[in-house]
Amino acid sequence: MSPRRILSALSPLFACIGLLCVWQLASMRLGTESFPTAIETLRAVPSILTDKESIRNILDSMRRMAIGLTLAVLFAIPLGLMMGRVKAVANFFNPLMMIIYPVPKAALMPIIMLWLGVGDVSKTLVIFLGVSLPIIYHAFQGAKAVEEKMLWSGAAMGMSAPSRMLRIVLPAALPEILTGCRTGLVLALITMITSEMIARQSGAGNILFNALDMAQYDTVFAMILIVGMMGIIFDAVFEKVRLSLVRWSQPRDDMPLSFT
Amino acid sequence: MSERINAFLVGLIPIALFLALWQSLISFGYAPTNLLPPPGAVFWRLATQFFTADFLHDLAATLIRLFAGFGIAVVLGVLIGLAAAVNPAINAVVKPLVRVLAPIPKVALYPALLLILGFDHASKITLVTADALFPILLSTYYGASMVEQKLIWSAQAAGTPRWQILFKVVLPAAMPSILTGCRIGLVISCIVVFLAEMITSSDGLGHMLVQAARTFQTVDMFVPLIMISLLGLILNSLLHMLRGHLLRGFPEV
Repeated sequence: MSPRRILSALSPLFACIGLLCVWQLASMRLGTESFPTAIETLRAVPSILTDKESIRNILDSMRRMAIGLTLAVLFAIPLGLMMGRVKAVANFFNPLMMIIYPVPKAALMPIIMLWLGVGDVSKTLVIFLGVSLPIIYHAFQGAKAVEEKMLWSGAAMGMSAPSRMLRIVLPAALPEILTGCRTGLVLALITMITSEMIARQSGAGNILFNALDMAQYDTVFAMILIVGMMGIIFDAVFEKVRLSLVRWSQPRDDMPLSFT
Repeated sequence: MSERINAFLVGLIPIALFLALWQSLISFGYAPTNLLPPPGAVFWRLATQFFTADFLHDLAATLIRLFAGFGIAVVLGVLIGLAAAVNPAINAVVKPLVRVLAPIPKVALYPALLLILGFDHASKITLVTADALFPILLSTYYGASMVEQKLIWSAQAAGTPRWQILFKVVLPAAMPSILTGCRIGLVISCIVVFLAEMITSSDGLGHMLVQAARTFQTVDMFVPLIMISLLGLILNSLLHMLRGHLLRGFPEV
């Protein structure tokens, strides 16, 4: 590796250190009790990560997120691909999607809690709902952009409609679908935190907001740091997977494309 | 034209089905009305409440936060995105920061914002800005870095000064991409402002929902949800009209 590439690989690390320095200076300047310094916060992180109860909470959150995300992927990709290839299906679902999109899914939590209780089912359902929409949307866009000629060639060679869907449309739309999945991943984390904030029973959001209520400010900031790190790590891992899956597609810039 | 009307009518079917399913769950006694109010009651409540001072006050509070946060995000996002696309030095600073900050779930920052900025407008507006900023910044950056070099050369050959090229060539050429980013940012703003109000607030649509949930007024729980959905729909179509206006003359908008 050339020194330039090492520098660019390390640049996010420099950014982290820079942000922590800004934080440290800002909190020292303000000097209020409710805004601990970066060093105090970093010191509180290990005690949370070694506490059995906290670890169980965080793992609970991650389990719900994984289940919700998996279900959403299994449901949203076929629907999105169908919408992209069959005009009638797209006309059928598009307006409904436009209405549902701006509704904050975590805001459905109080209502879903009335029906399904405060347990895992409601929280997983909310995550599922939140993640599905961007994936449907991106799968739809990806499938719509598939070159017509490839489908004609496939049909001319005697491929049936389902196998054309599986072997032409799905791979061709894959880069777009994965962009949707990446958005979904970030949204899953957001929905996870908010749903746990509303139904305080278990999870990372539960620790965060309980600490806020009990004025344990160093725990609050340490949890924010942990959740933020989770976001960054998930994103980095997903990006690695994505790159290996769509190596053939044109190279993209190395800025994250989350939310687009 | 008739095809478009047809498409529109087909699109109404699932919405009608959804409402029918909702109503029939109640009519056939599968869901007690105190858990799932009939759709008629919800829309009636929305219609009667809409012109009361309390409701308008909450709506105004939400809208102020939404527009302030979104507005700041648009200005910052476009400026930083443009700067990062044209200046390598700024790019070297912005890129790693964005890579670190973009994947962080911003809602988790909200407790920190509360502690630093207080429980009033400022913390909510900051949260909305933080969430809407990145999609706008990224799409501006991509739009501006994809501008055809020939356009810039032609402008230079015609004697346009460097800083004018930015606003006369790069910005208009990046406009479609910027507007796509704004659209994503807008939907996110709607979601985030509602969530922030649900967490801590004394007014706003999100506060209405929490208040209704605490007193088990299920009808009142649906009203703010429908309102935010309508709001998103209206703002989205306004943005679409703006897009049509700004991008007139662009091929295939």
